[in-house]
Formats: sequence, structure tokens, C-alpha cells
Amino acid sequence: MRDTAPREAERAEAGPGEAGRVVGEPARPGPAAAQVGPAVGDGAGLEVTSAVVRYGGRRGRAGTTAVDGVSLSVAPGEVVALLGPSGCGKSSLLRAVAGLEPLAGGRVVFGGDDLAGVPVHRRGFGLMFQDGQLFPHRDVSRNVAYGLEAAGVPRAERAARVAELLSDVGLDGYGPRAVATLSGGERQRVALARALAPRPRLLLLDEPLSALDRGLRERLAAELREVLVATRTTAVFVTHDHDEAFAVADRVAVMDRGRLLQVAPPAELWGAPASRRVAEFLGYQAFVPEGLAGTTGRPGADSAAADGPGEREPGGSGDRLVAVGPAGLRVLCGLDNPARATLPGLRWEAAVVATAFRRGRVEVTVDVDLGAGTERLVALSDVGPVAPGALVTPVGPRSGGGLPVTGDTVTVALDPAGCATVPAG
Amino acid sequence: MDRGNDRLSLTTDAGAADQDVGRGMRAHSATRVLVGPAAAWGLAVGVPLLFLGVFFAWPVVSLVARGFVTDGALDLGGFGEVLGRPRTWRLVGLTLGQATLGTALSVLLGLPLAYTLYRRSFPGRTLLRGLVTVPFVLPTVVVGVAFRTLFVHSGLLGAWGLEESLAGIVVALVFFNVSVVVRTVGGLWERLDPRAEQAAAALGASPWRVLRTVTLPSLGPAIASAASVVFLFCATAFGVVLVLGGVRFGTIETEIWVRTTQFLDLRSASVLSVLQLVVVTLALFVSGRARARREAALSLVSDVSAARPLRWTPADALVLLVSLAIVGGLMVLPLAGLVARSFRGPTGEWGLSNYVALGTTGERNALVVTVWEALGNSVRTALWATLIAVVVGGLVALVVSRRPRAHGARRAVALLDAAFMLPLGVSAVTVGFGFFVTLDRPLGIPFDLRTSGALVPIAQAVVAVPLVVRTVLPVLRAVDPRLREVAAVLGSAPGRVLRTVDVPLAARSLGLAVGFAFAVSLGEFGATSFLARPDAATLPVVIFRLIGRPGAENYGMALAASVVLAALTASVMMLAERLRGDRAGEEL
Repeated sequence: MRDTAPREAERAEAGPGEAGRVVGEPARPGPAAAQVGPAVGDGAGLEVTSAVVRYGGRRGRAGTTAVDGVSLSVAPGEVVALLGPSGCGKSSLLRAVAGLEPLAGGRVVFGGDDLAGVPVHRRGFGLMFQDGQLFPHRDVSRNVAYGLEAAGVPRAERAARVAELLSDVGLDGYGPRAVATLSGGERQRVALARALAPRPRLLLLDEPLSALDRGLRERLAAELREVLVATRTTAVFVTHDHDEAFAVADRVAVMDRGRLLQVAPPAELWGAPASRRVAEFLGYQAFVPEGLAGTTGRPGADSAAADGPGEREPGGSGDRLVAVGPAGLRVLCGLDNPARATLPGLRWEAAVVATAFRRGRVEVTVDVDLGAGTERLVALSDVGPVAPGALVTPVGPRSGGGLPVTGDTVTVALDPAGCATVPAG
Repeated sequence: MDRGNDRLSLTTDAGAADQDVGRGMRAHSATRVLVGPAAAWGLAVGVPLLFLGVFFAWPVVSLVARGFVTDGALDLGGFGEVLGRPRTWRLVGLTLGQATLGTALSVLLGLPLAYTLYRRSFPGRTLLRGLVTVPFVLPTVVVGVAFRTLFVHSGLLGAWGLEESLAGIVVALVFFNVSVVVRTVGGLWERLDPRAEQAAAALGASPWRVLRTVTLPSLGPAIASAASVVFLFCATAFGVVLVLGGVRFGTIETEIWVRTTQFLDLRSASVLSVLQLVVVTLALFVSGRARARREAALSLVSDVSAARPLRWTPADALVLLVSLAIVGGLMVLPLAGLVARSFRGPTGEWGLSNYVALGTTGERNALVVTVWEALGNSVRTALWATLIAVVVGGLVALVVSRRPRAHGARRAVALLDAAFMLPLGVSAVTVGFGFFVTLDRPLGIPFDLRTSGALVPIAQAVVAVPLVVRTVLPVLRAVDPRLREVAAVLGSAPGRVLRTVDVPLAARSLGLAVGFAFAVSLGEFGATSFLARPDAATLPVVIFRLIGRPGAENYGMALAASVVLAALTASVMMLAERLRGDRAGEEL
């Protein structure tokens, strides 16, 4: 948890693979491009400058401000995710880029041209909604062909392009099907093919996977990434799900209450959230004041905390918080637990509230005071669930395979690999 | 950006070339595009407004003014005089009385029917639903004749003394309006999520308690909405009352007609029209409120039909029996009676003599044209009226279905919506009378529209426009705005969005609207009776003329002509109903 750089490198190796990434890290823009605000203006790609979107304003009254001075740039071929809780203004920003909402301030520039006054249908963008919004009166291929018809593409060329796109999204032969007969996932694939068919300069995706169930969502996120990369599509992807954002995007822009909090590649965002708010939204579950963490906790921990703040990245002076990630807290069971030796730093006593087996890991819900009052947190237990073999030949005296049960008191420690530091306040 | 460059170098030649072609086609000047839609919307608002202004507002306002103004000065003397007559107050009382009774009975009988036809499924349900729909579009004159045939001394119910009675009028009104209740309430009932009722039952509520505490309150807005519309229809009923009421019973509506056509007392007629407007405005106001609440309630229901197969529980059996009794006694009996009676000649023998006589102008030349010629007139006029109504109503529905961003524009759209509902309530007689007194010099142009024959289809269109709007509007409103946004982003200009998204999606409802407009125009009597020249009389006008003339042969002809008109209207409506698919009747 001290040293950000090595951990980030480690994540970059391990992280993307599990999210089903297709292109490796080299495709990611370097950290230099990851700054908030306008990037190097080379005239290509999308440039949003101080965009403001307001709703319900009339004669004198301001109404509500959905987007409040957001600046963002998207390079050609890049996929940027707009991530934020519902109502944070991310969809409004997307709609403003598409030309569906008027800007109350700021500019949207694409390829060096200011888009003010350019109507929606002349922007050459693509748009995909959460529920697909397929045309119910057209079959699959005529849905996909819609944009091509609008552009006046000849029939033969149109048919070829439709077949190509359907193949790209894995729906070969679905052309004559009525859209009502499609499943949710198929609908979204058709919607994607339809949006991509006219080769949009920019593809805008508004929560395209949110209406699907979890397994399908994860699979489609990977496929979406694959298709976007294969077609070299510049895209802005709106989502409230950080896993999805990380799986699909080259860079993630975190929005809250109409403002942009941080823009960074997934690994960097995860490893170094710019603020407590960002970390909270990414799923960091607790925040321990760094100084406080050193003074409380078990005796003997002081020495471990001593080598703390000094090593933080430059500019990290002053009060900082240790953000405890979903995998940032470990349960140490038994003195022979290997983690006991490897995990540096503090130890806390925690009361077990519940134990659950989730996605192949044991999650122990505990009440623990990390220095900011008693909180209910989730800690991972290193002792795995009972393996099939172990059922036949139980090992050790504890029948639960060493699982803590409700009411137990366990020792927990922070796992630096699952923590980050953020500025306080 | 390393990856961007990487991609650019990898772009295939064919792809790049394609891309350039696509882009080039979209590169037009932005300003020209923004002017086009504004002009188009202006036209879409302007055409219906001009139509409504010239052919509805102006005649009605002039008519109202006529009651207040004498020789250029404000004069309320006419009011005092008309309101001082006991006859006026008796007619107001009769109007309100028959409307209240008709509404109450329609709701009472409509609810069990709605339950049977929309919450239970059984073989023959589609047929029964169709049967219940027919009365709504039957020409009022036909219904009047059908019930008169039942009520006269020699008729099937002659012994009940219903001829020229208030009860007789009310029964005929209920015949018409039960279908309004069934369609409006049934449409909501069918889609009402049954889980609320199931939850109540699971909490220990008896079926009766569930009905009282969950179902009826949920249906409340629909019932209120249907009741206010039925009240409106009853209060402005004309043809039925004229045929069944005889000299003793009438409404404000019939009195306007009598004053104008028999006594040429235009001033009294104007004052009565104002009185009628007051009643109608009140009913419309209530109906508008109820409709808004119903639309809010509709968003809470599922898209799936909640109808279950009929089970032979005592409750279901009772409701089914009641429903069959209502359909049999109220709907089948009069119509079957009419058909049967039409096959009996002047001397009581069975045969086709009445139908053969349709090729003549009647006994002692009661008519100027033959009945078949009148049928031709009817169809021709109705086609024109349908064309006008669908164009005007379609434009109104299109404009009203949009939710503009600006607050002012949103209010304007709501106002337009309300304005085009007015003809639904303002009596057709008032419209016809208004045409009669104003359109001799339309907009100051010295061209007497009244003799041109064009006024009849226009008047019928004024009556049909609200129905067209109510049929198409819900469908257009249900189109997700994001569908249009997707189309626009994919490169469709506003005109193309309209052509490729709105029109195909609304096509079925537009077909239904055409059927509605045609059926209503075919049967329109109130306005047409003022405006049609004798040599261009339509079928309803001819039927009314025939029953007003002495002679058994004329009466027989009227019956046969009624059957022909009813068959035509019902067939048109049945055809149009097929276009609707399984959408419930929400047009009112």
C-alpha cells in the first residue's frame, strides 16, 4: 500500500486479463494523456471544453445543472468510459455530444470542427441505448441497414455491409429475424451492429449493457471491447458499473454531480484514485487516516507504520487516507497462516458478523474499528472453502475448514495490494 | 496517442474509402437544415388551426354572438325571453335527466360486461367484443328507428308503453354508450396487474372485498373518464331523441333544430346553443380531468393481458349470465327486430319489397333522390370527410405527441390538444347551424359555401377529427423518443425520421382512424341535416325523412335503408377493428 508504482505494474499484468481484455497494455495511452482537462489539441478526435448542460431552465430561472463545466478529450480510436452514479450527468454529457441536448455553455469539437449548430443527423456519430431501441417495424437486417439507407449507400453495398456487421457481432444469418424474437443480448448486438454500420466517426454508448443480467453483461463487455478495437472505433461509453468501464475502456472518466473528478486508464484509476469520492465510487470500503492508523491498532504495529508516509508519490505530503479496497482487508486465521508473515503493517481485532462464499472466495463480514469508529467491512479469508478432496479427508481439528463463524473474534490486516492512498478531505 | 496512430495505419483501404463517401453525403450546410423543420412544424400547426378556426370556432362563436347582439348592440333580451319560457327549463331538465340516467345505467351495465369481455377468456369472446363495439358507431337515426320498431304498438315491446317516453330514450342511449364504458374500462381492466388483487387476497380479503378495495379504486379513473364522455354523448344526443321523443320529449339539441328548421327562430336557437355550450363545457372539463388521471394510471399497468379462462364458479356464471342478458336484450334484440321487420312489407307479408323500394323515391315521392342515390351521396361525402379528418387529425396528433423542450411551447401543445377535443363536445347541430349562418360569405369571400355541397363533408370532418386524434395520439405518444434520436444520430433528417419511424409505427392506428372517421361520417346526422341539399341528401337524412312521412311503404323503406346503413357502418368498423390488433379501446 505504500508503493503505487510497482503495484500498478503488477495489476497491469494480472488485471485486464480477467476482464476479458483483447488488446494488451501497449494500446493504452500513456499516463501523460490521462490528465483532466483538454489534452494536446491535435485537432483529431473529440474535444469537449467546459460543457454545461441545464434542464428545465426558463425565463430567468436556471433549472438544474446536469453537466457543470466538463472538459474531456477522446483521441481517435480511443474508448473512454464515463463512469458515475445515476444522475451524475454522464448521460446528459453523452447526449450533448450527440447533439440531442443543447449546450448551455462550452464547446463540443470533433476533428477540429465546432459542432455548435450541426444538427444531430449531420454529425456522423453512432448511438446505442441501454435497451437497444431497435425499430420494431424492421427486421434485423433492415435495422442494421437503417443508417446506410440514410447515407444513400447502394443496395448491394448495403447488403454486404449488413452481413459483415452481423458476422462481426456474432449474429450470422439473423438478418430476416423480427426484432421481437430476439433475446436481450441479441438485441444489444443488433443495436451495436446498427450503430457501427455507417462507420461512425464517434460511437456513443449509453449504458448499453445495463439491462442485461450479470453473466451476459460480462461476456458482452468483452465482446464489445473486441468489436470496438477490431473496427478501430472511437467511442464514449457511459456506465455506472466500474467493472464494465474497466473491461471496455482505454481510459475511464469518473463523474459526480455534473463534474469530472478524474480521468485515467483503469489500472491507474484503481491504483491511485484522485479523491475519496472517486475511491468510494470504485468500491473502496473504508478510509483510514494514515496518521491515525499509526497510533491505534495493536501494540507493536508502530514500527510497521513508521516507514509509511515518506514513500508516497511526490506531492502526497500532508493528510492522506488509506483507502481499503474490496480485497484490501484480510482475515488472519491461525498462527501458521502464511499471510501473517507476508502482510506488513497493522493488525486489528474484528468481530465476525457473517461468512459468505462468493465467487470462489470466502468473504467474512466483520465489525472492526480501523481508527475511524466501528465499521462493518468485508474481509477476505485466505483459508479457502473446503475443497472436494477435503470433504473426504477432513484436515485439522476445525470442521469448517478453518472458516470463522459468527461471533468469532478474528485478526484482520490490510493487504497493500488491495489498498490505495487518497488525499484526505 | 499511440493506439490511435496504430489504428490509423491499420485501417483497410476499402474501409477508408467507404468512410469518405459516407461523410461526404452528410456534409451539408447546417443553417438550411434548421429552417426546414421550423417551416414544416409551422405548417403542421397552421393547417389544423386554420381548419378549426374557419370551420369550427368562427361558426360557433358567430352563433353564440347572435344570441347576445342585436343590430350591433349588446342585447341580452333574447336570453331573458328564452330563459323565461317554462318550456326551456323543462328541456334543460330533460336533457340533464336523460343524460344522468343514461350515464348511470351505461356504467352499471358496462362494468359486468367489461369484466366478462376483458378479464375472462372463453370461446366466442372476440365475436361478443365485436358485437358490443358495433352500437357505438351505428348511426343515431338507425338506432332510433330500431328502437321505435320495438316500442310501437305493433312492436315486440309494444305492451310496455315505451313509445315516446323518457324510458325509451334512456334505453336507446344506454344501447349506444354501454360500448364506450366497456371499451374504456375494459381496456384498463385487462391490463391491470393482477398481483395487487392477489396480494390483497393473500392478506385475507374476500373476493367482494378485493373488488371493493383494490379493483374498483384502480379502475376509478377509467370509470370516471368513461362516465363523463357518456354524459357528454347523452347530453348532446340528437338523432335518437328526435326519432324516439316525439313531440313531448326533447333536449336542448333537438329544440335548437326545431327552432331553426320549423320556426326560423334563429335568436332562440342561438341562446339555446349558448346554454348547450355551458353544459358541454362543464362535462368536457370533468372528462379532461378524468382522462389525465387515467393516462397517469395507465402507466402503472403491464402490457400483458391479465385475462384468465372463464371458470364455472357461481360468481363467474352470474356475471356471464348478466353479460349475455345485456348483450341479448339490449343489443341483439333491437337490431334483430329491425332486420326482421325490414323484411315485412306494408301489409305484413314477408319479402324483399322494402329493399326493392329502395330504388324509388318513396310513396308519393317523399324523397328527391332514391335511397340508393342517397347511399352513393353518403359514401362520397364520407370519403371526403375521412380524407379531411385524417389529414387534419393526423397533423394534430403528430404535433401534440411531441414534447418540446421550451416551457411555452409545451403549454401551447397542451392547449392545441384541448382545442381539438372541443368538437367532440360541441353539438353537431350547433356546428351545422353555425355553418348555416356564417358560411354564406366564408372569410368575407363572396362565395356561398352552403350551396356548393362542400360543407357537408367539412362538417362531418369537424365531428370526426377528435376521434382520429384520440386514436392516433396514444400510439404516437407511446413511441419512445429515443427511437427517433437513434434514427437522427444514424443520419436521418427530421423528415426522414417521420417517414421511417413515426409513420410506420402509427400506420395501424391510422388505418383504424380511417375506419372510425368513415363510419362516423357515414352516420353523421346532426350537422348534415342542416346542410345537405335535398338532391344531395345522405342516407341518415333520407331515413329520417322517410319515417317522418305518412305511409307504411315509406316506413318499410326507412327500415330497409337503416339495415343497409347499419350493415355498411358495422362492416367498415369491423374491418378497422382488425387493424387495431389487440390494443384496447383508449381513444376516448
